Amino acid sequence: MAVELYFFQPLGTNSGRVFQALLEKGVAFVEHELKGPDFEHLKPAYLRINPKGQVPTLVHDGQVMPEGMIANEYIDEAFEGPPLRPADPRERWRMRVWQRYAENDLGRSLMMINWNRIVPTFVGDRSEAEVLAVLETVPDPDRRRSWLAAYRQITPAEVIEESHRRAREGAKKVEAHLRQHPWVAGSSFSLADIDLNNFCGFMAMWMPELVNQTDTPAFVAWRAKMEARDSTKAMRARSNFNMATRGGAAIANRPAGKAGAH
Amino acid sequence: MIELYHWEPNAASARVLIALKEKGLQFQSRYLDVLAFEQHAPAYLALNPSGETPVLVRDGEPFNESSYICEYLEEAFPETPLMPKTPLDRWAARAWQKYVDDYLAASVSDLAWAALGSAGLKPPPGSSIDDAVARIPMQERRDAWRGALEDLGEEVLDKARERVRLTVDKIETDLEDRDWLAPGGYSLADIAVYPYMNYLPRIEPELVGKRTAPHTLAWLKRMSERPAVIAAEAMSRTGDAYATAAPGPEHVRWG
Repeated sequence: MAVELYFFQPLGTNSGRVFQALLEKGVAFVEHELKGPDFEHLKPAYLRINPKGQVPTLVHDGQVMPEGMIANEYIDEAFEGPPLRPADPRERWRMRVWQRYAENDLGRSLMMINWNRIVPTFVGDRSEAEVLAVLETVPDPDRRRSWLAAYRQITPAEVIEESHRRAREGAKKVEAHLRQHPWVAGSSFSLADIDLNNFCGFMAMWMPELVNQTDTPAFVAWRAKMEARDSTKAMRARSNFNMATRGGAAIANRPAGKAGAH
Repeated sequence: MIELYHWEPNAASARVLIALKEKGLQFQSRYLDVLAFEQHAPAYLALNPSGETPVLVRDGEPFNESSYICEYLEEAFPETPLMPKTPLDRWAARAWQKYVDDYLAASVSDLAWAALGSAGLKPPPGSSIDDAVARIPMQERRDAWRGALEDLGEEVLDKARERVRLTVDKIETDLEDRDWLAPGGYSLADIAVYPYMNYLPRIEPELVGKRTAPHTLAWLKRMSERPAVIAAEAMSRTGDAYATAAPGPEHVRWG
């Protein structure tokens, strides 16, 4: 019977999308908050549940399901409650294409820009040796390399610039799409709206030069609609981070001290 | 009417071809020679601005991204189901599809391109390969082609081999006590993984061979004997879909 969610604070991106889907579906769940700055997701207790150390992980009756995008499809299929996917197969296809775009293309570009800024603060006052020792334990090789590159600030400048280009293109693409459709998948609210807001919604605050009332009015109006939803409000209230005061994230999340480290 | 714009029955094109054949759906084949850059012709870019194959067109409407084309076919044509019944098993089938999209497709494409690729390139008459690449409108795909035409480099290929090794471990574990990748029977998971793994016994026999990957080899054989797979592979114009390769999709950009 029990539904459990292991998630990161601040609630957003991958953790936020599953947290919000459970709220939208009206599924009661046990919260397991993992402290990213303490690298709790790399400690044995969590790796026993999810050996890859990915966050979030949905657990239902002991069955372990990482991968937020498809965990959300599971939530929609396994529980009673309002549908989170369109009934029309064509709109469902559009939902999934946009979920992938939000997460893997635009979202990863934003992540690349932001993690390169945040990681140095995120790791607090640990010594370099300490941090490298922890990062060496990231189980997935690609993820390990990304963390190391962000920590050492060696992501090539052209890769960061390409990410900025995709952010600029993305703002336009989202705007054009939301001028045609009230919701991302088309006629109804769906998992794609949850994903786009969790992975890219903060552009409105962090990249106001790209997402603003003048250049992207449909994007801004859709976001207001998303932020007004009960599930978004409940998630924001549960988050330890005020999205509007970016940079506060790293400070609010700093590890308690060296005692918290490995 | 269903039309499918596709290349050789390998990689992403094969995923949709096999799904169509499994479901017994009639469709018009629109073959694009990717090594002759036919996927960058304006008429095709109007259907799919990224210039990637395949694209399925139903009653004039285009659908791209092979995982989601396959899910669309499953939902629009539920007869002959290709997804497991329970939500949990469906999660497992989707996890394999997502794994292919995020990791396996790009990694195997790197290895296959390095081993087989550029020899077959045919730039359009009167133009060079560089000209043909310069005309690709999407910067992402232009960069991918340029990257592939330069030497990918041993570091990239080693990362790809590392990913294949992890995949083989996963398949060998999954197939210890069953015949198909997702619990609940043959599914879109098998259809997603096969057209990539099927390259490897020939180009990376150390990684996918009798000693390292017995379950994987047995599963590839089971797949290749399915009538739908045989029918899809009979659509090859080169005669051997897994002897040719094109630059693959982009690797995950972060994490």
